[in-house]
Amino acid sequence: MTGNCHAKQPVGFRLSSLLRRRPPTPSGGPIGIGRGRVLALLALALTIGAYGSARAGNPQGQLTWGVHITLAPTWFDPAETPGIITPYMVLYALHDALAKPMPGQPLAPSLAESWSASEDALTYEFVLRKGVKFHIGDEVTAEDVKFSFERYRGASHKPLHDRVAAVETPDPRHVRFKLKEPWPDFLTFYVGATGAGWIVPKKYVEKVGDDGFKKAPVGAGPYKFVSFTPGQELVLEAFDQYWHKPPNVKRLVFKVIPDETTRLAALKRGEVDIVYSIRGELAEELQRTKGLTLKPAVIQATFWLYFADQWDPKSPWHDERVRRAASLAIDHDTINRALTLGYSRITGSIIPDTFDYYWKPPAPTYDPGKARQLLAEAGYPNGFDAGEYFCDTAYANLAEATLNNLEEVGIRAKLRPLERAAFFKGYAEKGFKNLIQGASGAFGNAATRLEAFVAKGGAYAYGSYPDIDTLFAQQAAELDHARREATLHKIQQVVHDRTIYAHLWQLAFLNGAGPRVGESGLGLIPSYAYSAPYEDLTLAHQ
Amino acid sequence: MTRFITRRLAYSLLSLFLLSLTIFLFVRLTGDPAVLFVEPGASQSDLEAIRQQFGLDQPVGVQYVSFIASLVQGDFGQSFYYRTPVFELYLSRLPNSLLLATAAMAFSLLIGIPSGILAAVRVGRFWDSAGKVFALLGLSLPSFWVGLVLILFFSVYLGWLPSSGSGTAAHLVMPAFALGWYFAAAHMRLTRSSMLEVLGSEYIKLARLKGLPESLVIAKHAFKNALIPVLTLAGINLVIMINVAVVVETVFAWPGIGRLLYEGITFRDFPVVQGVVLMGGGMIVVVNLVIDILYGVIDPRIRLEA
Repeated sequence: MTGNCHAKQPVGFRLSSLLRRRPPTPSGGPIGIGRGRVLALLALALTIGAYGSARAGNPQGQLTWGVHITLAPTWFDPAETPGIITPYMVLYALHDALAKPMPGQPLAPSLAESWSASEDALTYEFVLRKGVKFHIGDEVTAEDVKFSFERYRGASHKPLHDRVAAVETPDPRHVRFKLKEPWPDFLTFYVGATGAGWIVPKKYVEKVGDDGFKKAPVGAGPYKFVSFTPGQELVLEAFDQYWHKPPNVKRLVFKVIPDETTRLAALKRGEVDIVYSIRGELAEELQRTKGLTLKPAVIQATFWLYFADQWDPKSPWHDERVRRAASLAIDHDTINRALTLGYSRITGSIIPDTFDYYWKPPAPTYDPGKARQLLAEAGYPNGFDAGEYFCDTAYANLAEATLNNLEEVGIRAKLRPLERAAFFKGYAEKGFKNLIQGASGAFGNAATRLEAFVAKGGAYAYGSYPDIDTLFAQQAAELDHARREATLHKIQQVVHDRTIYAHLWQLAFLNGAGPRVGESGLGLIPSYAYSAPYEDLTLAHQ
Repeated sequence: MTRFITRRLAYSLLSLFLLSLTIFLFVRLTGDPAVLFVEPGASQSDLEAIRQQFGLDQPVGVQYVSFIASLVQGDFGQSFYYRTPVFELYLSRLPNSLLLATAAMAFSLLIGIPSGILAAVRVGRFWDSAGKVFALLGLSLPSFWVGLVLILFFSVYLGWLPSSGSGTAAHLVMPAFALGWYFAAAHMRLTRSSMLEVLGSEYIKLARLKGLPESLVIAKHAFKNALIPVLTLAGINLVIMINVAVVVETVFAWPGIGRLLYEGITFRDFPVVQGVVLMGGGMIVVVNLVIDILYGVIDPRIRLEA
């Protein structure tokens, strides 16, 4: 397995693009080479010079975000990255990783220009890019990579540390990870699902300590830390020596505005340029407002309906026809249009389409007539009382719409919305019965998602099927990518055919951008909710 | 007197102990914070690692003893979300809350007291009715709704004021109004009833019989006496404004203690919720203790009854 460096070269000054942007010459008769003409050319030359310097390493202007969630200092330190997507909002600016998702590349070489795995899958070696610097001027070395891995204590640090026998640094540009036993998901965890592959400067961290680092973080990302006012804002400034390319925008400001109506008001007034998380009617208003642009991003959060009692022979859900009837009763498109303006992706899988080993199932269909027929064949011509429908309060609107659809074919259930913490506690402790509206935005690949929600002993699996468990064990020991992929595809097909889940959607996260924004970075990286990569952002006039 | 103060002090400490126990137990009934620090579907080992990191893997009794042991040393614990000492967080937000509460209090007194006096001296007439409507709206309209209407009108429609945040006097206007209206209404009603009571008293009648001008009777004799209960209420209200302006601070993204409490509740950040509630409760207990002692000093009968 080898990753190659296909990094983009720094975007330099392009005369053709400048000429397209210059003010039109006033039309008139033939122009002689007089003083006015010379002055005009001089002015043009100066303008070209100024523009060129801006593009080639003199970032300008400011972009301001209205952020929906309180920024935490722990997000400044990759070592403390929790298993949620939000800290990456800051990590992509301040820090850089050995490899990370980039536009068009699920895992683009970044600080590492390449990597390779040994035949026995026990050794992974990364070659670092030459001459890459941290904000304080120190070069990124193999020691920094080793140090960042060892001090990592965020999500999934235990399986990661437990399976690595040693980290070797034969020279400043080579890092070698030796595993205790073959682990096909090493890269998924190390450079995908955790913050362990995001590199911090060893000497600086040792000098200032963990708390000092959170107060004045230093990384190798496109933006340098300027200030952080807890509960208010984070200010960053362009790092013009960023290896990939110098950022176009000089200053980034992230303002915390928890209320979404206020965020939209701030965008309308031009107090902020980009806002995150605007839902429902407010998103429609954003879309209607002149000068504002709705920027939906389909993220890696899939939603589904789980038949918790399907392993109980006395339950109606034990009958596969009943589960299929429920799936056919759901009018996905109408729900999508009503709740997320049609931007969510209708999916037939609990696995996001950007995950490794994803198998594309047939699209779900809406056929209430067929649903009623299946129910009648299963012995429920008049429907049945399905008990309770548990959901996270934050997505009770999706649950209400789904429940209405189910009731239309005769599946009657009572909605039980629970506050998020209580909901996921009950879900994980297997305390619910009947119907559960589940969701997951966890990082990983198809195997990790199946492990949690389908395989025997999975944290959120209320039961399992022996044939699936056998296949799952096979893929876990398989080192050949193609064979493993085939097995994982087979599992997903069985999950689909058996209607273990009725699928709802892959959620669209709705954001907005104002008139000062050129490139917002929203939606550039597939399945990523926020603006990135920051070095690609531009103002409208750039 | 020493015995009286000792007993009051003991009651105050008991109140704080009960408050600490109540908030400690109740906040733990609201759910598991670990699930909010991972995406749904995270592994059990991740959840357990978070619980261990936060000390939530210990029995509740052990957690409480540890919490109290730290508390007596002035340590409110470390925020789960910020990984910063709670007391440090509280102090960083306190100036913003003090500023907002002071502005809201000034607004509530400047509007509430004159309108209360006007309503009392013009009972049953236009100003009295107008004051009643003002008070009714102030007490019944939810502050989040008032806040959003203000933002839509003054920020989006007129473009006069910034919609949210802090830093300038302009940022303070709308949150101070949204927070102060409720309290202005309460102060107006109390001023009115207090003034009506005083205006009906014998010494006011005597002042009028002596031929004093009505303005002098109201300003010098009635107003001063009617003001005492209003100011007592204002003192307590100020503590409430500092600590529980949760909705207004959230709507206007005002970085005060109310929003810190909101964040604490949102993320099940137990140490933050415990710290903010205890600090707020502590302030009220101290204010009441001081008032009790002052009453005891002023009126010996209270000392003896106690």
